[in-house]
Amino acid sequence: MQWQFSNDAPIYTQLIQQVKVGIVTGAFPPGERLPSVRDLATEAGVNPNTMQRALAELERDGLVYSQRTAGRFVTEDNTMINTAKRSLAQRHVKTFLEAMLQLGFQKDEIISLIKQELGEEEADHASA
Amino acid sequence: MLRKLLKHEFRATGRIMLPMYLILLVTAVGSNLAGRGMLDGRYHILNILGVLIVTAFGIAICGALLMSFVLMIQRFYKNLLQDEGYLMFTLPASVHQHIWSKLIVSSVWFIATVLAIIAASLVVAYQGGFLRELLDLLRYFLEGLRKLEVSEAFNGTIYLAEFAVLMFLSLVAFSLQFYAALAAGHSQANHKLLWSVVWFFGIQFALQFAGSLLIIGSNELDVFNRLFSHWDPSPTVAIHVALLMAIGCVIVYGAIFYAITTFFLKKHLNLE
Amino acid sequence: MPVLECKGLTKRFGRATALDEVSLSIEPGRIVGLLGPNGSGKTTLIKLANGLLTPDGGYIAVCGTAPGRESHSLVSYLPERTAIPTWMTARQLLDFYGDFYQDFRREAAEEMLDHLGIQPRQAVKQMSKGTREKVQLIMVMSRAAKLYLLDEPIGGVDPATRDYILSTIIGNYNPDAAVVISTHLIADVEKVLDEVIFISQGRVALQSTVDDIREEKGMSVDALFREVFKC
Repeated sequence: MQWQFSNDAPIYTQLIQQVKVGIVTGAFPPGERLPSVRDLATEAGVNPNTMQRALAELERDGLVYSQRTAGRFVTEDNTMINTAKRSLAQRHVKTFLEAMLQLGFQKDEIISLIKQELGEEEADHASA
Repeated sequence: MLRKLLKHEFRATGRIMLPMYLILLVTAVGSNLAGRGMLDGRYHILNILGVLIVTAFGIAICGALLMSFVLMIQRFYKNLLQDEGYLMFTLPASVHQHIWSKLIVSSVWFIATVLAIIAASLVVAYQGGFLRELLDLLRYFLEGLRKLEVSEAFNGTIYLAEFAVLMFLSLVAFSLQFYAALAAGHSQANHKLLWSVVWFFGIQFALQFAGSLLIIGSNELDVFNRLFSHWDPSPTVAIHVALLMAIGCVIVYGAIFYAITTFFLKKHLNLE
Repeated sequence: MPVLECKGLTKRFGRATALDEVSLSIEPGRIVGLLGPNGSGKTTLIKLANGLLTPDGGYIAVCGTAPGRESHSLVSYLPERTAIPTWMTARQLLDFYGDFYQDFRREAAEEMLDHLGIQPRQAVKQMSKGTREKVQLIMVMSRAAKLYLLDEPIGGVDPATRDYILSTIIGNYNPDAAVVISTHLIADVEKVLDEVIFISQGRVALQSTVDDIREEKGMSVDALFREVFKC
């Protein structure tokens, strides 16, 4: 896992996002045991209390569940993971659109730009 | 806790003093061998070598004495008043324990150094039959003792004991005077060592001044005559009284130095 | 019970006032940043908490007692300079800490030294400056203390050492204890802290949690610090 933090948001919300990304991308596979709070905190270079708080939040959302003695596990519920994936994607799209609108693009222009970009990518794939 | 402080203090100082004693022993053995023909001038080179070895023995004696003195000051200064002080003064130990550990260890090394020098000198003097001569000497001495009257033997032993106590306490007070000056000097923000020197001589001067005042004052008031006019001790008793008074003085000095040291280390510690 | 508490704490050096009526309280289970520019009074506060200085006014308590012999066995202190005797070998240093501190976890310390590739017979004298700082930190963090007072643990070391030091602090931190880290390098420690205390010219300028600052002000502690202490 690569941990990166920006300066404008609380660290625990950023941790929540990044663990979610880890779950969605399979860095933390479904049903697998998560490393301990201390190990995760050391790895991310953050305060263990903050990591604890982030995991508690994820637990409340249901992406993570804990078993009293064995530790925390990633959910096995794929629909839940897909929902999380979707909401992460929606966030990215939203910020992208905001930026494009700010640059003065119209909706159809944006769509055609995306199509063009995707088409080039397909062409790249084809030539490769 | 004092026991642990002593253990680590001996560890810190032993690594310097024990090699010192080893050098003393080696040069003593060398000097002994040099004395057996090296110095009789038949071979020039052997002659020079012999002189060098004997000189080395002399230097080793001075070195051991000097080192036990330097170490007494340096351990207090470096271990308590420099960077290491941050570690030492945050140990779960009291200021008193720190002072006593330094004091005891440096006194032990002073005494050990004197004993080591005596032992080394015996090594130098050792020849065939030397041990027998030494035993003979001891026997004469014991025989002499046997001829003494009980009271003489008793007083002699007490004199020796008093003298030994006096020497030991003087040694402790001597070290404490340096500790007091260093502790006081290092409570200053700047020029700590300079202030320590000033304090050393300041203390010295103040005590001498107080001492002379006391003597002059007691002369003026005729204290001694009044106290002792009806008391006419025998010379034997007079020597005891003198020795005990000297011991008393040294204890007072030492207590003053100790009080100054603890005061500054407890209340005005100011590590850089 | 707070592990560190001061009320109206004042310390003067001659005419200069190093700490002026400082009141604060630090609870267990927290990693607290003591932040302020050079000469703001951070080191003075830490020295007072260690009994290396005596206050001129006010009150300071560590785990409910005035700094002294008793508190020394509960506090693990990393001075801003190398205080470990340089003639000692790594093993002698372990003996030293083990003898004086009952809470010293020798195995943990040995493991960390081993991890750095330090031989038991190696003398501190033979180590580089960075390694000495790491070794000193290992000794300090190997104690199971109630309060860790770390004075400038990351000042004057390279970024890789900085990361090592911070992860050593996190990795050895226990939830019953509080850690106080004094520094002026805020960007580097920010992620590690729960709480920050800003000290300016001997006074407490702010005490808050890191996430509160980020949430309420929308800026990092580092950015806020630059704003508060703008020259």
